[in-house]
Amino acid sequence: MTDKVTDSVETGGDDHSVSRRQAIAAAGTAGAVGLAGCSGDGSEGSSSDVADPLSERDEVRIGVLAPVPSENPIGASIANGAQLAVDQINEEGGVGGAELSLVVKDTKEEPQTGSTRYGELIRNEEVDLTTGVFTSEVLLAILDDIAGSETPHMTAGAASPEASAKVSESYDKYKYHFRTGPINAHHLGVNLVDFVEAKADALGWESVAVLIEDYKWTEPVSAALDEQLSETNVEIAMTNRYPSGTEDFNPIYNEVEESGADAAFISMAHTGTAAVIQWAKQQRPFEFGGIHVPMQLPSYYDAVKGACAYGVTQNSATPTAEVTEKTTAFADAYSEAFDSYPVYTGYIAYDAVNQFAEVISDSDDVAADAVVDGLEGSSYRGTTGTIEYYGPDSEFAHDVKYGQDTVWPVYQQWQPDDPENPQAGGTQEVIFPEDLSTAEYQTPPWI
Amino acid sequence: MAGISQFVIQSTIRSGLYALVAIGFTLIFGVGGVLNLAHGASIVLGAYGVYLATTVLGLTTGVGFVVGLLLPAAFSGLLYLGIIKRFDHEPIMVMILTLVTSIAVELLVLNTAGSQPVAIPQFVPGNVTLGGTNVQYNLLAVFVLSWLIIVGLFLFVNYTKTGKAILAVSMSDKGASLVGIDSDRINLITWIIAGVLAGIAGIALGSQLGATFSMGRTPLILSFSIVVLGGIGSIRGSVVGAYIIGFIEVGFVQFISNDLTGIAPLLVLVGVLLVKPEGLFGRELAE
Repeated sequence: MTDKVTDSVETGGDDHSVSRRQAIAAAGTAGAVGLAGCSGDGSEGSSSDVADPLSERDEVRIGVLAPVPSENPIGASIANGAQLAVDQINEEGGVGGAELSLVVKDTKEEPQTGSTRYGELIRNEEVDLTTGVFTSEVLLAILDDIAGSETPHMTAGAASPEASAKVSESYDKYKYHFRTGPINAHHLGVNLVDFVEAKADALGWESVAVLIEDYKWTEPVSAALDEQLSETNVEIAMTNRYPSGTEDFNPIYNEVEESGADAAFISMAHTGTAAVIQWAKQQRPFEFGGIHVPMQLPSYYDAVKGACAYGVTQNSATPTAEVTEKTTAFADAYSEAFDSYPVYTGYIAYDAVNQFAEVISDSDDVAADAVVDGLEGSSYRGTTGTIEYYGPDSEFAHDVKYGQDTVWPVYQQWQPDDPENPQAGGTQEVIFPEDLSTAEYQTPPWI
Repeated sequence: MAGISQFVIQSTIRSGLYALVAIGFTLIFGVGGVLNLAHGASIVLGAYGVYLATTVLGLTTGVGFVVGLLLPAAFSGLLYLGIIKRFDHEPIMVMILTLVTSIAVELLVLNTAGSQPVAIPQFVPGNVTLGGTNVQYNLLAVFVLSWLIIVGLFLFVNYTKTGKAILAVSMSDKGASLVGIDSDRINLITWIIAGVLAGIAGIALGSQLGATFSMGRTPLILSFSIVVLGGIGSIRGSVVGAYIIGFIEVGFVQFISNDLTGIAPLLVLVGVLLVKPEGLFGRELAE
C-alpha cells in the first residue's frame, strides 16, 4: 500500500520552463518565511492576476500533506486517494493535455512540521495546488503560509471552522483556502441533531446521554448540540464533556446508567477506542452512537476484535454506500490498487483533485485567482456528494456546503456478520439517510 | 438505598482489583527493600502478552492467559538477574534503573502495537444484577481471583519453606544468610512472583478497560498510595489499604463528582505521609 505513496514522491522537477511559476514560488517563499502578515492583503500587481493558460503547460503539479502516510490509515487514504485521482486522470490523457503529478509530504500531525513541509512543496516542488491536511492544528499553522504563497489549497480532513472564519474575515488574504471535506465541525454537530431528529423514533431513543471528549475539534460540535438538541423531541438525560485522555469510562458509564438514557450520544476521536471497548466488553445497558472517528475505519472491526459491533457513527462514505454514483466505484478501484478500503479522507482527497482538474480544464487557466474563482463557482459531483463552497460573505466562507443536496453524511452501524460469533467479522452498514441505507438498525442483543 | 448498595458493591469489587495491583509491588519492597518502578511495565506486559497470543498469533484465550503470566514473570526475573542484583543495597540506583526500564517497555509497546487501546478477552463475559446494580461477571471473577491470590500468598508465605525464607529475608537478609538462606534466590523468586501478580493485574485491567501502552502508570501510582497507607512491605496492610482506597475512590466519584477520578489515592498518599508515615501496619518508614 505504501509503495504507491513512496513512488509518487518526486524530487524537484527541473523541466519547468515557465518563469511565471517561479515568480509565484518566490512570492510563496516570502510568505513562508513570515512576511505573510504584511504582504497578504494587497494582492494588486501580484503574479496571480496574470493568466497561466493550461494549454501552454505540459505538467500541473499537486502537493499533498498527509499525517504519516506510511502507517496512519487516515494519512495513507489522503495520499492514495489523491494518487488514484491523478493516475485515472493521466490515463485519460491528463487535463487539457497536461499531465498531473503528485508530491506527498508527511506532516507528522505536528504544526511546525506541517508548516515546513508546506514551504517545501511551494518552494522546491513549485506546486499549483496543495491538498490534504488532517489535523486542525496543522491547518491553522499553515493558513498564513497559504495566504503568503497565494497558492490554492483544498483541505481534505481537518474540520475546524476557524479556517473558514479567517477566509470570511480577511477574504483577499485567505481566499486560497477551501475545505473540500469533511463538513466543518459546526455542521458535524448540526448533522448529529438532524440525524437524531429524523431517526430517534425508529431507533427507540427517547432520551440520550451526551458524551463529548474535551478536544478542540469538539468545541463547535458541543456548541451546536447545546443550541439545537433541546429543540428536538429527544430528552437530554445528561451531558458530560469529559477530560481529554480519559481511559476509564466506568464512572461515566455508571452515570449514564443512572440517568436512564437509552443511548450514549457521542463525539469521540482520540478516546473513542477505549470508550467503545469498555461499552461492549461491559455490555452496558444503553446504545452507542454519534461521531466515533475510529469506527469510520473499514479495518476497525478486526482491530478491536468486534468490540465496535452495534456502534453507530457518522461517516463521509462507506465502501458499500452509494452516496453518489461515483462512491463505490472509487472504493473498489482504491481497494484494487492498494489492497484496502479508504478512510473518509481518501474520498475527500480524491474529490479535491478531480474538482481541481475540472475547474482548470473548464477555465484553461492554472493561475491561483482563476482557480479560486473557478472553485467558488464550481458544483462538482464527487464521491461524497455534490461539492459546492459557501461564498465569501458566509461565516463559513469556502467550506463545503452542508445539506441534503450537497454533502450529507451517512450514518453507519457496525453489524456482525454472524451474531452468534461477533468476533468473526463485521460490516459497515448504512442506516441513514433512508435512501442510502443498506440495512436496518440493530439493537445490541444484551439490551 | 440503591445508591448505597451500588457504592458498596462497586467499591468492594474495585478494591479487589486494587489489592491485586498492589501486592506484587509491596512484596518486592518488603523482601528486597527496593521500589520497583517497573511494576507498571509488568502490568502492561501481562495485558499485551494476552493480546500478542490471542490477536496477533491467533492462539486460544487459555494459552493467551498463560502467555500473559509468563511474559511479565520472565521480564521481572530477568530484570532482577540482569540489573537489580548488581545494585543490591543501592535503592536510588534501583529506582532509576527500574524507571528507565519501564519507559523502555512502554516505548517498545507503543512503537510495535500503536497508541490506540486494544481489546483482550475477558475471564467471563456477561452481566448480572446484584442488589439493583449491574455488575459484570468479569469483575466478579477478578474479585474472586484477587481473594484466591491473597489467601494463597498468605498460606505460601506462612506455611512453606520458601515462603518462610521470603519472610526471613524480608526481616533481615543478613540474619537469613546466617541460617543458610540464599537471599539472591529468594529475591529472584519474589521478583518472579511479583511479575506474575502484575501480569494477572494487567489482564484484569486490560479485559476491563482495554490495554494501552500507558496502562501501567495509574496502577503504579495507586500502588504507592495503597502501600504507603497499609505500611510499606506489609501484605496485610496492602490488602486493607487497597480496600480503604477503593472505597474512598468510588465514594468520591459517586457522591461528589466524576471530575475527581484518580485524585483520591493521591490525597490519601499525602495525608498518610503527613499524619502517620509508618502506615497502618508498617514500621519501616518510622525507623
